[in-house]
Amino acid sequence: MTKHMQTDNNTWEIGGKTLSSRLLIGSALYPSPANMEEAIQTSGAQIVTVALRRQAAGEGAGNDFWNIIKSLGIEVLPNTAGCHSAKEAITTAQMAREVFGTNWIKLEVIGDQYNLQPDPFETVKAAEVLIKEGFEVFPYTTDDLVVAKRLADVGCKIIMPWGSMIGSGKGLMNPDNLLAIRKQFPELKLIVDAGIGKPSHAVQAMELGYDAVLLNSAIALAHDPVKMADAFKYAVEAGRLGYESGVMQKREFASASTPTVGRPFWHQNT
Amino acid sequence: MIKVSVNGEIKEISENLNIKELIEALDYRTKGFAVAINTTFVAIDSYEETTINNGDMIDILAPVQGG
Repeated sequence: MTKHMQTDNNTWEIGGKTLSSRLLIGSALYPSPANMEEAIQTSGAQIVTVALRRQAAGEGAGNDFWNIIKSLGIEVLPNTAGCHSAKEAITTAQMAREVFGTNWIKLEVIGDQYNLQPDPFETVKAAEVLIKEGFEVFPYTTDDLVVAKRLADVGCKIIMPWGSMIGSGKGLMNPDNLLAIRKQFPELKLIVDAGIGKPSHAVQAMELGYDAVLLNSAIALAHDPVKMADAFKYAVEAGRLGYESGVMQKREFASASTPTVGRPFWHQNT
Repeated sequence: MIKVSVNGEIKEISENLNIKELIEALDYRTKGFAVAINTTFVAIDSYEETTINNGDMIDILAPVQGG
């Protein structure tokens, strides 16, 4: 029987909550609501992202979705997806706080429609206002160290740099930049958000020392989202264990791992 | 009657309605939603004291899936 190691303390804290899972999962793009529900449960994620959109009168559409999410009993992280200015994002955050009953907000201000790159100027501006209004801001940003610094300067305790473009599945475009942010801000909670396409990307992010990863498309668009949710659960755990274990130093040359003492006779004259 | 935009759709409504009356008139049955007028959030506690004016842009948002 194999012994399964657990990550240090087995828990971590974010936004005033103590959690065991380091995977944050999105609720969009699944083949069906039932599939979404099963995938989220299988992933073990304890934070799920949601959004707000215009709602038609009458039937009460949106209630079914919201009821499923509530029944999961996990933390809800509303986003400001689709906002293009600080003003829009602030209004959306205020509306989300009332609807979802949480002061958590995934702050997303898009600066370019082609690659959905976050607008750093508007993001920092919105973050400053929202923090003063008592929000726990989870800002989605690029892997730019100076933007991360500005976000920290206005009071962000959490920063979520992208791995690569939203929905691209390209993985970590610039691990060196992500590592620089990790090294410069050991006290902040850092989450790689966006661009993760497969479990190995999540492992890589966690091995860099990131506190968690946030993803949606990689699970929802897999041929079997539930199985992929399981894969990501293990990937995040494996990456964290790898980080905590201390990765070996790279070497320029080969170094035999098998002992040289006691080599058999055919090496005698070499 | 006045003309307002509700979620991007132009509607004619009675004058001097407040937000609570507007929501009832529009028959919103969604349980959880939030309202913004002219891109400014209006808290639920302020619905009765907030009167809708001609030309107002009203957004009524409810939960959906998100990443």
